[in-house]
Amino acid sequence: MKGAARDAALAVLALVVILGLLVGLARTGTLAVPPPEGNRPLADKFLKTTYNWTSDLWSASPEVVTSILWDYRGLDTVYETGVFFLAIIGAIALVRGIKTPSLRWRGMSVVARTVSKITLVAIPVVAASIALHGHLTPGGGFQGGSVFAVASLLAIVALGTGFLTGRGWSKDRLLAFRTLGLLLIALVAVSALILALLKGEMGYIMQNQWKPWARVGLGYLFGGGNGILYSGSLFFLNLAEFLAVSAGLSLVFILMGLPWESLKGGASE
Amino acid sequence: MIEAAIWWYIYSLTLAIVVMSLYGMAARPNLLKKLIMFSILGDTANLMAVMLGVHSGLIQPPVFPGISFTDHPLPGVADLESFARTAVDPIPQVLVVTAIVIGLAVLVFLSYVAMLLYAKYGTLDVREIGRRRSE
Repeated sequence: MKGAARDAALAVLALVVILGLLVGLARTGTLAVPPPEGNRPLADKFLKTTYNWTSDLWSASPEVVTSILWDYRGLDTVYETGVFFLAIIGAIALVRGIKTPSLRWRGMSVVARTVSKITLVAIPVVAASIALHGHLTPGGGFQGGSVFAVASLLAIVALGTGFLTGRGWSKDRLLAFRTLGLLLIALVAVSALILALLKGEMGYIMQNQWKPWARVGLGYLFGGGNGILYSGSLFFLNLAEFLAVSAGLSLVFILMGLPWESLKGGASE
Repeated sequence: MIEAAIWWYIYSLTLAIVVMSLYGMAARPNLLKKLIMFSILGDTANLMAVMLGVHSGLIQPPVFPGISFTDHPLPGVADLESFARTAVDPIPQVLVVTAIVIGLAVLVFLSYVAMLLYAKYGTLDVREIGRRRSE
């Protein structure tokens, strides 16, 4: 009966916490039925400055989410990429004894394999489109990388791990791509600062556009007046994050799809 | 009236999912079911965060419309005003974008832990694992 009493106490506690949160959210007007008329002042400010070329704080991108992610709170996103990196490193460290073997699992039936091979071409194309248009349409490096990882997962499930490992997707190579993505992010993060130091001006880490008090920027048009809009650092950061996320997630999925015997060997080491 | 009813329905459904996933995490002994409930809880939290950004009336994504790689006119003040009136709040979406990917990475890490536990103990029942550890 001791266990039952503890369970009841926990249930009551959980209920109290949830109701308290709900009342708090409702009292502050965060949860309103129906939702409020307009946006909050902070959202209004972001929506009006991001693509407003008369503002000192514009980020030269019509995509407000990407602008906040990689420009206004860019440093924070770099740290979050670090958290993501550590989670993957932790997962790899748990199974560190494993070699990626060239196994010959045939995968699913012919129908599933054929359909998967058709979709396997389409998914990376969609992923690259999401990532490369990250500063123009909804999407970006994180989203594109996650979509790409779905393709690896599909290949592992439908065609077998050997399909990827047999094509040179080894652990070391994927880790190298992942690290390359992180290095590119670090490089873009300090590029404006290095430019500023070379010119003897003021500059910031993760700076994107020209500011009156920090007169360096990465530009936003390729080829002058009517050129291609790339929104300064946003395009390159999306590209690097796409590389890092897709390689990292593919790596953990491949390691997870390895045969049971090799995992047991890795665990006992 | 109908709009308010729909919103109440959505809010209460989300809350019910949160309660159910918390129950599943606390009460189910199977580690795999705990992980499933954990991911459902995370996704529901993300959904709630995105819902906070919605306002009533006509809404559109927080992306200034009609801009492409080669066609990118600079907008006037009136365009920006009308855009800011209709676009949803971008800030919750920003928080959710990174939360989803990091949630996935954490889920993968926990799955590895569960796989190793299964390799060592031959079961995912946490009571059984605890019993064998204490032996």
